[in-house]
Amino acid sequence: MPALNGLEQEEVTAAPDSNFQRFCAAHGILSVEDFLLHDVYALVALAEREVNSEELKQGINQVLAFIDTQHKPWLNGLELLEDARQNKHLLPTGCQGLDLLLKGGLLEGQLTELVGASSCGKTQICLLAASNVTYKHMSSVVYLDTCNSFSPKRVAYFIGVLNPTLKQVRCGILERIMANILCKSVFNIFELFDTLDQLQTKLRDQARSSDHKVRLLVIDSISSVIAPILGGNMAYGRSLMISAGFLLKRIAYEHNLSVLVILVSSAYKELINKCIGGCLDENVAACVVTNHMVGGNVGSLKPALGESWKGVAHTRLLLSRVNRTNKCSISVLKHPSMARGNSVDFLIPEENF
Amino acid sequence: MATSNGQNDAFKIIDLQIMVESKWLQSDGGYFRPFTRKNKCGVGRVTMTNAAKSWIHGDESAKQILARVARKRPFLLRPPLHRVPLRVGNVVEIVGPSPSAKTHVLMQAAISCILPKDWKGIHYGGLECLVMYFDLDCRFDVERFTELLKHCIMDCNGLSNGNPKKHGILSESFHDFEDLFLSCMRRFSYVRCYNSLEFLSTLKTFRCHLQKENEKHGVGASFLMIDSISAFYWTDRATAPFPLGSTVRKSFSLSNVLETVVQEIQRLFKVQPMLLFATKATISGDGSVTSELKRNRGLSKDVSELKVMRGFQKDAYREYMPSIWQSFVTHRLHFQVSDEDLDGSSCENKSIFQFEWLLPSLNVFEKFEVADAGIFMLT
Repeated sequence: MPALNGLEQEEVTAAPDSNFQRFCAAHGILSVEDFLLHDVYALVALAEREVNSEELKQGINQVLAFIDTQHKPWLNGLELLEDARQNKHLLPTGCQGLDLLLKGGLLEGQLTELVGASSCGKTQICLLAASNVTYKHMSSVVYLDTCNSFSPKRVAYFIGVLNPTLKQVRCGILERIMANILCKSVFNIFELFDTLDQLQTKLRDQARSSDHKVRLLVIDSISSVIAPILGGNMAYGRSLMISAGFLLKRIAYEHNLSVLVILVSSAYKELINKCIGGCLDENVAACVVTNHMVGGNVGSLKPALGESWKGVAHTRLLLSRVNRTNKCSISVLKHPSMARGNSVDFLIPEENF
Repeated sequence: MATSNGQNDAFKIIDLQIMVESKWLQSDGGYFRPFTRKNKCGVGRVTMTNAAKSWIHGDESAKQILARVARKRPFLLRPPLHRVPLRVGNVVEIVGPSPSAKTHVLMQAAISCILPKDWKGIHYGGLECLVMYFDLDCRFDVERFTELLKHCIMDCNGLSNGNPKKHGILSESFHDFEDLFLSCMRRFSYVRCYNSLEFLSTLKTFRCHLQKENEKHGVGASFLMIDSISAFYWTDRATAPFPLGSTVRKSFSLSNVLETVVQEIQRLFKVQPMLLFATKATISGDGSVTSELKRNRGLSKDVSELKVMRGFQKDAYREYMPSIWQSFVTHRLHFQVSDEDLDGSSCENKSIFQFEWLLPSLNVFEKFEVADAGIFMLT
């Protein structure tokens, strides 16, 4: 938010004059942020005592008018519902079990989180969803890859399953479809913020042009960029984590795309933790993502990133896999309209060479 | 002499002015129109003579007080909010981990507020008032809200499974439902905020919106909802108080933000008293508490002791919000996922939760389930 003397550049309101700025500065208000923290009524009372009280009150009105442009508009229930019905559709993932469980697919405008131990098929579901959305819906997919697990070969295979004739036709249709999956490697939280920022600008431009619409954003996996910044007693890491969550929700809601986030479950070595010191910070436990084998016999697996992240996503799904088979099971941990525990079994298609 | 007399008079006037100002600071809004029509929002003028007059005369007669107090009877809310009488001006905090049906309880309370008392001969038992919903978590699902509202309307008409055609209802009455549904949805006002700055901006200009809505609907708002007040806890905590040069300048810290929030809401309540619901997610892993526990416990390998500790941890509720917010809260409920539900013994599409009143402390654990049609108590 701007400084008070920079308000004229915002072109929303007339610039408050220098008298008003001096008056505000005397009460410790130099920027709009300061103004927000200040009691307006106390300020009006102070202004009344000055000689040029009318002028000062005018200035206060101007700042208030600017502040009024700084928040999202109020909507009534009907407007909200209309927006949801028009712009927020269900996006089928192509994974039958998952679509059945979610009654149609991932919801646009919301954040869906997939939780599971490593190698239980999370990436497979993401790749399948990406291929399905590009092929069946002719839309773009943005795929942010934090652990080099994106496999174009696998995507080509999934598209091949959807349309077997594509393999024979050598006119580059497959290439054109695949070109709609924009993959980017991201290795730390700052790169993630940067990429999401660029994506936001891109989506704003896209609203004007009639390109392939981006309808799905996949982050595989978010825990590997966030877990390293957590831990200790500093609020800083968690602040970045929560900000990332809000940014994702904002992108999803404002640009009507569905966000699929992957979270690795980490071993929560309950007993060991208890022995060491009562209750070690959960987030510290979440940092030990690679240690999940250790906890196998004593503790149970639990989603990484701890308690604070739990409130971020709209939907949280737990993925588990029966040992050494391609049989998977997904169950609901959290959903706006579904009870936890609902689950469904399905098979992950295996590639036949 | 003449000049000094003049000065004295001037002082008197100023004194009177201060007196009048402090008066409107207390009772707020009576003599003072905060938003003039010219500017979208702003501060108007104090009409001096009227203000001075009414200062001398009392605010209201005993009869008026009685009438006002009698009108402000406690709300009859649906479970799980039925145990304690709640009135306008109360601040109810709903604490619990995510997910523990906190938003669901808010939705249900909102629905009982926007429904009319009676509509075309059918009793709905609502308040027919406006609801103002601040979505700070940005997770409000309007489809679920719609579903709950429709279930409620059907329930009151004796149609539990929500399909009017099955019961041979004429299409006319179906249109009636539609009208009722639309008018209810219009009484629900929603805003989402992605950070504290947006939240404060919304609050600062909230009175303007409230007034417009009141005029549009002809009824006032009864419920104010904030879901959740702790949404920006970590982001605000991390904004380190850097030296600002001047001592009068406030830093943008968690406690300052919440102080302003509380102040704004208190001011608002003086003009339009409402019942405030705020949810709060529990966060374990708050450094200070853990380190304290660590220090107290030391090393221990006794399994039975561990179990006790685990139970203690699960049930214990730790306060982490700044004291300014804590002292603002008048009622507190603590929600938890029920053990039955954790064991996976519950099937079908419902979840079981348990809750307890912490403020006032009732020491009773009660259970409720959340199904498609809403919240039901389990006895």
